[in-house]
Amino acid sequence: MQRATDLTIGRTGRSPGIPWSMVMEVAWKNVRLRYKSSLLGFLWTLLNPVLYLLIFLFIFSRAFAEVENYPVFALTGLILWTFFATTSAHVMGSLVENAHVLRSLAVPPLVFPLAQSLAGLFNLVLSFIPFAFILFAFGWRPHPVIILIVPVTLLFAGFVLGVSMALAALNVFFRDIGLLWNALLPAMFYITPIAYPPGLIPQDLRWIIELDPLHHYIRMFRTVVYEGRWPEGDAWVTTAGLTALALILGAAVFRRLRPGFIANY
Amino acid sequence: MRPGELMMRLRGVGIDYLVQRYGYRSIKEYLVSIGSKRLLERKRIVQDLDLDIAAGECFGIVGRNGSGKSTLLRLLAGIIEPATGTYEVRGRVAPMLALGVGLEPELSGLENARLCAMLMGGDRPAMRSTLENVRDFSGLSEDDLRMQVKRYSTGMMARLGFAIATANDPDVLLIDEVLAVGDVAFQQKCYDRIGEMKRKGCTIVFVSHFLGEIQRICDRAGCMEGGRMVKVGNVHEVGVHYHGLLGIPTEA
Repeated sequence: MQRATDLTIGRTGRSPGIPWSMVMEVAWKNVRLRYKSSLLGFLWTLLNPVLYLLIFLFIFSRAFAEVENYPVFALTGLILWTFFATTSAHVMGSLVENAHVLRSLAVPPLVFPLAQSLAGLFNLVLSFIPFAFILFAFGWRPHPVIILIVPVTLLFAGFVLGVSMALAALNVFFRDIGLLWNALLPAMFYITPIAYPPGLIPQDLRWIIELDPLHHYIRMFRTVVYEGRWPEGDAWVTTAGLTALALILGAAVFRRLRPGFIANY
Repeated sequence: MRPGELMMRLRGVGIDYLVQRYGYRSIKEYLVSIGSKRLLERKRIVQDLDLDIAAGECFGIVGRNGSGKSTLLRLLAGIIEPATGTYEVRGRVAPMLALGVGLEPELSGLENARLCAMLMGGDRPAMRSTLENVRDFSGLSEDDLRMQVKRYSTGMMARLGFAIATANDPDVLLIDEVLAVGDVAFQQKCYDRIGEMKRKGCTIVFVSHFLGEIQRICDRAGCMEGGRMVKVGNVHEVGVHYHGLLGIPTEA
């Protein structure tokens, strides 16, 4: 048997690469599982932001009369927010939930955070279709720059992956990370200008939202979708920088903590 | 693989687990020390382990709880890396460290077979042959296989898990006392299957608390105690040694 020697496990013989076919299979499983035993299935992805939108419309639409087409403004923020909140939570739990597999099969741990992120991204892209109809109903019309939604979404997905792979790794050691994150999410939701226009923040407090990475991605997403404009150069630089930073830091944390995973799942 | 050729070669292998030190106080200390103090403590689980296992051999490992048997299997399965020493495992390894690993309750038996084949490092052809093997060997009907796994009995899960793990003609089979579940008929079927794989030249490492099981299928055995392989020899010698450790008198 010739093949056997090629597959030797040992100090030297291990390939450090990511098994993408495995990642895709697990991602596809995650997509199917999310809606397997629910009646509304995929509609749940829409329900959450739409409910928020209704609440916003009810409470804020008068308050923010200066915002042109407030429903479109709010919904563009909500779409990204929902992706951030759900994907980060799913990725964070992905290592601990698959502890059984990670303890018994030679699966690289990174497979699970990657697969959950991909499943989240898939879901987001799929949800763009019904959201387009909702936006259309509110009088939104697509502009050719809408194509930029692709790089903007990818940049944001990379950022979410970077942040949540660090969370997933930390969560192996301290389950409080999950609880802490759940407590932090609503705070981030209100700090980030999602329901309200950023212009509402007083000038001397502006630095707070400038430090909030989510704000930069949402602003850029709105520039493309809501304003139908090409984002400025520094918006690209900021978001690309944030994504690179999140991925580098996330990977560093993950690498550093990985040797301890096996005894602490 | 020719019989007699070495399949596994371990030299001076030590395996460490990084265990959290003392709960939440340690986080504070860790943060205050800005990372100079270690958050995790190294605990040696397996040490100074030398082991040679030849192709086609069935090697049994006995030992008390916590003696490092499962950790050693994890090393052989490629799940963990040793802290010291060198090791080599040749061929395609099929780990059975627990039955039903990776089974997703909401998915059907067939969907699970596909998924598990991928998790075991398979490709698309491997996936297909896993499905065939599951149909042939598991003894589950087509209806059962299309049913969600959450409705399976423990025995059915074991059948499915065993069929998935032994698909694709592995060169090395690692078994960690997983055959205790399932009915007697299924256990017999598993032993038959293990025997068949052995005849095909598959190398088997079999961990068990029960000497009887080891004596039934293994050619050679080792006894572990405190992370060391304290005795290697034929199943009888190792059995006597193990009983000595447990304080059980052995006849003759």
